[in-house]
Amino acid sequence: MNKPRLELHVPTPPARPGGQASFKHLEIPPAGAVRRPDSACDESEIRDLPYALIRVLDDEGRAVGPWDPALTPDRMRKGLRAMMLTRTFDDRLFRTHRQGKTSFYMKSTGEEAIGAAQSLALVTGDMCFPTYRVMSWLHARDYPLDLMVNQIFSNEKDPLKGRQLPILFSARDYDFYSLSGNVGSRFGHAVGWAMASAYKHDDKIALAYIGEGTTAEGDFHEALTFASVYRPPCILCVTNNQWAISSFAGIAGGEMTTFAAKALAYGLPGLRVDGNDFLAVTAATQWAADRARTNRGATLIEFFTYRASGHSTSDDPTKYRPADEAGYWPLGDPIERLRQHLILQGEWSEAQHEALAAEIDDAVRLAVKEGEAVGTLGKSKPSVSEMFKCVFKEPDWRVIEQRRELGI
Amino acid sequence: MASMNMIQALNNALDEKLAQDPDVLTFGEDVGYFGGVFRVTDKLQEKHGVTRCFDTPISEGGIVAAAIGMGAYGLRPVAEIQFADYILPAFDQLVSEAARLRYRSNGEFWSPITVRSPYGGGIFGGQTHSQSPEAIFAHITGLKTVIPSNPHDAKGLLISAIEEDDPVIVLEPKRIYNGPFDGRHDHALKTWSGHPKAEVPEGLYRVPLGQADLVREGSEVTVLAYGTMVHVALAGIDESEVDAELIDLRSIVPLDIDAIVGSVRKTGRCVILHEASRFGGFGGELTALVQERCFDYLKAPIDRVAGWDTPYPHAFEWDYFPGPGRLAKALRRAMEY
Amino acid sequence: MGLYQFRLPDIGEGVAEAEIVAWHVQPGDEVKEDQSLVDVMTDKATVDMTSPVDGKIIAVHGAVGEMLAVGGVLVELEVEGEGNVSDAAPAGPPAAAPTLPTPSPSTTPEPVPEPAMAPAARTAAFAARKIGQAPLAAPATRRRAHELGIALQYVPGTGPGGRITPGDLDAYIASGGAAGPSGDSRYAARPEVNETRIIGMRRKIAERMQETKRRVPHIGYVEECDLTQLEALRSDLNANREDGQPKLTLLPFFIRALTRALPDFPQINAHFDDDDGILTEFAGVHVGIATQTSSGLMVPVVRHAETLDLWACADELARLSAAARDGSATRDELSGSTITITSLGTLGGISSTPIINRPEVAIIGPNKVTERPVVQGSFIAVRKMMNLSSSFDHRIVDGYDAARFVQQVKRLLEHPALLFMD
Repeated sequence: MNKPRLELHVPTPPARPGGQASFKHLEIPPAGAVRRPDSACDESEIRDLPYALIRVLDDEGRAVGPWDPALTPDRMRKGLRAMMLTRTFDDRLFRTHRQGKTSFYMKSTGEEAIGAAQSLALVTGDMCFPTYRVMSWLHARDYPLDLMVNQIFSNEKDPLKGRQLPILFSARDYDFYSLSGNVGSRFGHAVGWAMASAYKHDDKIALAYIGEGTTAEGDFHEALTFASVYRPPCILCVTNNQWAISSFAGIAGGEMTTFAAKALAYGLPGLRVDGNDFLAVTAATQWAADRARTNRGATLIEFFTYRASGHSTSDDPTKYRPADEAGYWPLGDPIERLRQHLILQGEWSEAQHEALAAEIDDAVRLAVKEGEAVGTLGKSKPSVSEMFKCVFKEPDWRVIEQRRELGI
Repeated sequence: MASMNMIQALNNALDEKLAQDPDVLTFGEDVGYFGGVFRVTDKLQEKHGVTRCFDTPISEGGIVAAAIGMGAYGLRPVAEIQFADYILPAFDQLVSEAARLRYRSNGEFWSPITVRSPYGGGIFGGQTHSQSPEAIFAHITGLKTVIPSNPHDAKGLLISAIEEDDPVIVLEPKRIYNGPFDGRHDHALKTWSGHPKAEVPEGLYRVPLGQADLVREGSEVTVLAYGTMVHVALAGIDESEVDAELIDLRSIVPLDIDAIVGSVRKTGRCVILHEASRFGGFGGELTALVQERCFDYLKAPIDRVAGWDTPYPHAFEWDYFPGPGRLAKALRRAMEY
Repeated sequence: MGLYQFRLPDIGEGVAEAEIVAWHVQPGDEVKEDQSLVDVMTDKATVDMTSPVDGKIIAVHGAVGEMLAVGGVLVELEVEGEGNVSDAAPAGPPAAAPTLPTPSPSTTPEPVPEPAMAPAARTAAFAARKIGQAPLAAPATRRRAHELGIALQYVPGTGPGGRITPGDLDAYIASGGAAGPSGDSRYAARPEVNETRIIGMRRKIAERMQETKRRVPHIGYVEECDLTQLEALRSDLNANREDGQPKLTLLPFFIRALTRALPDFPQINAHFDDDDGILTEFAGVHVGIATQTSSGLMVPVVRHAETLDLWACADELARLSAAARDGSATRDELSGSTITITSLGTLGGISSTPIINRPEVAIIGPNKVTERPVVQGSFIAVRKMMNLSSSFDHRIVDGYDAARFVQQVKRLLEHPALLFMD
């Protein structure tokens, strides 16, 4: 019998620039369809959940199903505000790059619900190990905007002393672990941190993020192995926003299986959640937090979302996907949906929304102005001596000599 | 005071720290129940409990990542990498994360981890059990690296490393775990028994990082060495009949530059001895430093006696391993210049 | 056994002292009568002193180069029978053993002691430092040199490639900075200083020249002579000479010219004793010929040159020259000139300023003969020209007379037929 010759398969996304954007290949179940098992359940009982999609808000903005977290309106308004602030801040600071005031920026447009909801769901002391697309975590905790602006401008008042690229933030007091540009390498730190918390009989948990593209890195799998073996109290989140720069999720294995399903290989519970649904994100996070805090170990959560912006200021997505693709995302926009829900609840109005938008806009403008007053990249920077500090706890003779050589 | 070999000294260091500081814990492949393939963690699990000393998956990257996370929380983890030859999968964690964490977070987070690993050749271990990676780590700003040459220093340096708030790599010369070795492979094996540096004080004591040890005072040539090569150097110096001064660096980073410069300015000659291959080896940095700071005092070129620029071979162990004869030759060459 | 003292006799020309030139005996030697004992020198003649007796040398007095006064004891011998110590010869001053001045100890800086190095023979051959090559030295050596203010390019290096070793620097310092053999650099410093005692012939010459210049006010006169005809004559005579006839140089012609001209200028063929103020004019023309020998300048004399024809003159010149050069010229042959000719021959230039051979009052210095373009009428011809330099004792010879004399000589040389006419 003649066998067909071997062919190398290379995944391609459904649509390219100029093509018709479409997410018809995605199975989007209705909201409320997925059961909510007890957070104390055995992992073996929920091996189907990684293939499901946990939704609370339906397409009309109603909260439905067992995963409804029954959040207070205040909480939801707080979440809405955090998301709006994130978006406005992103837009404005992105524009400062185009104005030459900074070297780099990354927006989290479309993903604001994830960091905001989780930041509000966890408690002080729980450590977040973020990617660069969860600044919403900090906005949800009212991190001072001017400090953030200073860091982005790398100016004299940068809290990170001019040592880091814009956006690669650190804020221990806000439970925000130091960010770096290497993707994935901190996923395992969350696991270690959680191991330490358990070792010390503490009650704090860790939460880590990783992009779907980065789940291909060995770091991801090593972290999951450790999470599986030692059952540390942590929540490991894969933000599947469909795109890793120009590579669609299929390049990371998304064609064959879901990212939540990767939990199955490690014997960990996996939840797949609508990342644009503030309520669903909150609910899933609470479930995983409960599980962690009761010594039941780690949960892998895939947040199913869409990266509405480009990867960064250096990226132009119209080069590799249809320019209007974001509009076709079947799960909508997180701000829109929460706003709609709140209004539906009678807990919000268009007028309030506009007023809030204006207030946020002013706040962001003010912060940017204040930052510009201190200075922007190239016009202001911390003392050059900062370049030499914090290499070690105490400086060694090398940096002492080199400072002298530089005359500082 | 007790007479210990290097394994016992390291074990003792861990034992003391585990007892003294509840934030100290140690883990690695076969480290827990079994006590480590070189027995360095022998009986520690039994003595201190399963969460103080435990086994890990075969995942060097995962081991160091977990250690960094623990360190960020506030513990003082001591991770073992079974052979320094296997430390490369953890290289990214060490370089991109452990070495950078304090700097990039402006001191909000830091990595007080210790990564200890047996290193070096002379054991017919071939390419996968004999390598010396100290030069690779020396180059990474933010990492410290120490290398003991005897049981006394091994215990003191490991304790100091654990107490450091910066990440420290402790490379343990496995060839001299059980006894000093001077490169004369055809002679009978020695143990540490009776050696003055095998006298290890009880309890906690520290050998400070960044402090070299003057092993032998001399006037004609300065020999810089560390690890097993300290013992090889003594034999080589004897053979050469040159009155050489021998400095055991003990600490690659931070480096005791004052000891080195003071010695070479006195003798006017410098020979560096290390197992790692010569090109791009740590000897290059030492040569540059000596040249910069002692130029006017140099009576002869600075020389490096090192492993050849090949992967570490098996059958050719003694052809590769820099022995006392090669050092003696280099010393005489320096004198005859 | 008696003691015989052999004293330095008066060996001619009233000299009061002579210089010891070379000893042929030493204490302990048995000598025979007439055996050579020592060479001594007066003026330019070296005289061999022979033993007047048989005996055994007991002592010799006077180091080589030392002056011994006439009458001073030269040699003491043990002889059979009585000696001569009872002779009433005036005891010359005992010749003191000469003491060469010792060089003052040079002040060299203490070389920095090099720590004991393992002895190692450098067996490899090395190349010396090349011209223009920067000096090689280890940094420690450079620093030491810099601190001592020593420029390394002057220090010879014995290390490989001409590298300056610490030992080389030590040696350089110890030598007081003398550059040693460092390859044949054309630009190497030459700090060697060589001291020689001026003795013997050279001292005689030096003393004579000094004395002449001190006492005699010289005037010089130079005139150019057209020797074309003379050279043609000489060439023809030489080409057609018979067997036994010597080759003629220009000298016989010059001498002939002098003998023809001098009778009209008797004060020029004279000796002036300026101590007594007596001018002795000679009718006979005894021409001194300044001759360069291996021992220096000697002046053999052609006596009564007026009696010699060209060939006889040439023969005599050759004989005297040979005798002077091989040292066999006698004292008489080396003295008594009334006028001197000095010529550098092929080494001659276009003019010279000869120094008079005192107590003569004139010296003639022919220079080189060259072909030059000369205006003759309204044409330019190539002629054989020679500048004739001369010096005269201006105390005796006025410039006018000097010029007239030289012009007469010139006329004779330019019209050589006149040399042979009455």
